[in-house]
Amino acid sequence: MFKKTWNPYLAGALAGVLMILSVWISGKFFGTSTTFVRVAAVIEESIGIDTSTNVHFTEKKGKYGAGALPDWQLMFVFGVLLGAFISARSSDDFKIQAVPDMWRKRFGASPAKRGVVAFFGGVVALFGARLAGG
Amino acid sequence: MTLGYGLITGILFGILLQKAQVLRYDKQVGAMRFLDMTIFKFMLSSIIVSAIGIYLLKDLGLIKLSVKGTSIGAQLVGGSLFGIGWGLLGYCPGTAVGAVGEGRLDALWGILGMLCGAALYAEVYPFMKAKIITLGNYGKLTLQQALGISHWLVIVVFALIVLAMFYLFEKKNV
Repeated sequence: MFKKTWNPYLAGALAGVLMILSVWISGKFFGTSTTFVRVAAVIEESIGIDTSTNVHFTEKKGKYGAGALPDWQLMFVFGVLLGAFISARSSDDFKIQAVPDMWRKRFGASPAKRGVVAFFGGVVALFGARLAGG
Repeated sequence: MTLGYGLITGILFGILLQKAQVLRYDKQVGAMRFLDMTIFKFMLSSIIVSAIGIYLLKDLGLIKLSVKGTSIGAQLVGGSLFGIGWGLLGYCPGTAVGAVGEGRLDALWGILGMLCGAALYAEVYPFMKAKIITLGNYGKLTLQQALGISHWLVIVVFALIVLAMFYLFEKKNV
């Protein structure tokens, strides 16, 4: 448990078992993308944008709207953050890092440069994930 | 209760992701560059185990599966965009969140970007629904239905292909 690294095949298989139990017990598959949509709706509402006229946020009984929160997936996403933190701290693997090693070797140590690309990558990735049904 | 299950499941999954070292830009982009297949080892092991378990539960009548719709247009365009974005960000949506838990601050910019991407998608959704999702739309479709074979045959063939890939990964030491 306190070893820094587990065999990825073993960790993956255990994640598979966890998924089976989750589907069996609570009927939930693992996912995170939809939470970004719901949280985006909450943020829009909080800065005064009315989401009640948006087709995506309101269709399917508001499944993708702010009103769907809090739900299983939001707690799952929060849990992933917490679990990673607990795991990293307990095995002395927690490290504040703004620029990944591989990036630094190729593109330099600027956190701003890395931040801009990460931001736009995020925009495109989630847009694509939602379009593909993820 | 549902919220509690979500939290506990997330914590356990976060621990597994962290221990397998998949919450790292270097591992994710390393896989895209065919240098380090750690994330594929994790992901494919997980898929095989859960496919077997979930179809077993389904065959025993303990759960019902709700399949997502197949749209060639949406999945081709969406998947390609996701790939480009994933390559630039170096984290997928779930691992970006976990990466922050590990101290990787660049993932925070990715999360901010993903929230903007989600808002953007909600804005252009009517267009996507009318023009892209309708392209090659087959509705709820599975491979076993399309081929008219048992889901167990699909799982066995898939598992054999994955095991061959694992053999290759270990042989090439990636």
